[in-house]
Amino acid sequence: MSKKSDAYFKDIPMKPYDLLKEGLIVLSIITVIVIILAAVFSSPDYPTVRGEDVAKRQPIAYLRTSANTLGGFSGIQTYGPPYTKNYDNAQRVFGIAPANLPGVTIPINAEVDFVLKPLERVAVLNKGVDSALKTYKSATPAQQQVWLKNYLIALDKATVVNGEVRVPGGNFGPVATMMNGMLNLGKAGLLEGALESNPRLPYSLNPTRSLLFFQDDVYVSVADSLDMLSGQWGLVHETGNYPGAWWLWPYVFFYQISPFNTSPNADLQVGLIMLALFLILIFLPVIPVLNRIPRGLGIYRIIWRDWYARSREIHEFEPRRKAG
Amino acid sequence: MNLTQSARDYLTRNLTYEDALPTQMPVYVNSVAYLFGVSALSALGLLVLTGVVMSLFGPDWYHVSNVGHFFNSLHFWSVQIFFFAIVLHLLTKFSIAGWRDGRWKTWVVGLLILGVAILTGLTGFLSQTNWDSQWISVQAKDAMNALGVGAFFNTMNTGQVLTLHVIVLPLVVTALVGLHLFFIRSDGSIKPIPRKRAR
Repeated sequence: MSKKSDAYFKDIPMKPYDLLKEGLIVLSIITVIVIILAAVFSSPDYPTVRGEDVAKRQPIAYLRTSANTLGGFSGIQTYGPPYTKNYDNAQRVFGIAPANLPGVTIPINAEVDFVLKPLERVAVLNKGVDSALKTYKSATPAQQQVWLKNYLIALDKATVVNGEVRVPGGNFGPVATMMNGMLNLGKAGLLEGALESNPRLPYSLNPTRSLLFFQDDVYVSVADSLDMLSGQWGLVHETGNYPGAWWLWPYVFFYQISPFNTSPNADLQVGLIMLALFLILIFLPVIPVLNRIPRGLGIYRIIWRDWYARSREIHEFEPRRKAG
Repeated sequence: MNLTQSARDYLTRNLTYEDALPTQMPVYVNSVAYLFGVSALSALGLLVLTGVVMSLFGPDWYHVSNVGHFFNSLHFWSVQIFFFAIVLHLLTKFSIAGWRDGRWKTWVVGLLILGVAILTGLTGFLSQTNWDSQWISVQAKDAMNALGVGAFFNTMNTGQVLTLHVIVLPLVVTALVGLHLFFIRSDGSIKPIPRKRAR
């Protein structure tokens, strides 16, 4: 051993040991356990929720998402950095909003990127949508809002008959035609392709826009049905009864309690708390009181019970020997 | 200055062959609690092995192949065992105040491993290209964005999270584990906390 080791273990009795054998035995046991778990329980692989699925199974939700986005009512429209310039909406603690420092790095104009641009692609194939799009673009913003609000109100009373959405009549201008164009885009399975605008197509490794499109009501609805919402401790389990990132339960825990469960700045608050807890753990060795907790808990007495028993025997033996 | 000589001298002082591959151990190293670290290491080995196999066949493989899905299951359960073992290992080292006698370096590096492993796990969940990935990516983005990290790390950018998961983060974890093991073998197993003598 090195001089350092020799000095540290001086007067400590040693026993024979085989590091590699112990390692191989443990590796074998862990391998067997993993193989058994994989063979018996398999692993989760719940299918993706595609635009086509939503358009065919929940067409009204699809239309509402499209109309809300076009009207500027979706969450992403005013999200703030890194997507939009709504700096006031960034989460903050003590007046500081870390998201505002790097600013907008993934610019998204939801109205244009999520609805108008995809519809421009539909317009190439559908003259009706082309005409509706031109009418919409030439109207004043106030007129556009009137059409959209009327459409969204009517959509609340819409029904689905034989797979077709029937919206009560109203003053929708070109909006109904445009929304039907969006719906047909989804039914054709082309929504995600239309949302992508990667100049390097056909290579597409970044589905950010497709994921953001349905993030509000549709994804929340699916997650709710699978018990995966934040209030359902969604992070710590996957679909079905499979365990997820259960090691994050302290993180998820804070989202369940006041004031974080209702705070608009909860993500930043909880994130900073976890960062602080991690730093406390890192510096635990030099934090007074906290670094004495193990001695108070006394669990070490169980781990080293053989050593303490051995020490006690020697300790008890030595005085008798001296006395004798 | 001869760098090779300096490196050799450093190793001689800090990690001899006997330190690195010990054939004897202090008698107080005699508890199942000492096996949690090597259990985590074993699970990490399985993670790398199954991850390499999955990388060879591409990210879609496990969705369409039964063999691929089985390897995904091996990877999935290795993750669960890895974190189970690493949490037990952390609790054990906390319980014995394993940072004493200059071993704070080992403690700090161990926690850094946990931190990077959590990030590796997150990118793994995001790389699954299934519903879980969809949901976790739009949820996790809010946390990243709030902290200002989202500007550089986009949880919805599959290309970014996949390359982080299969290359960058495993390299960091492996390097940190190497450093952790170096400190462990160099310093040796920490002595038991001295007990107050009974009066």
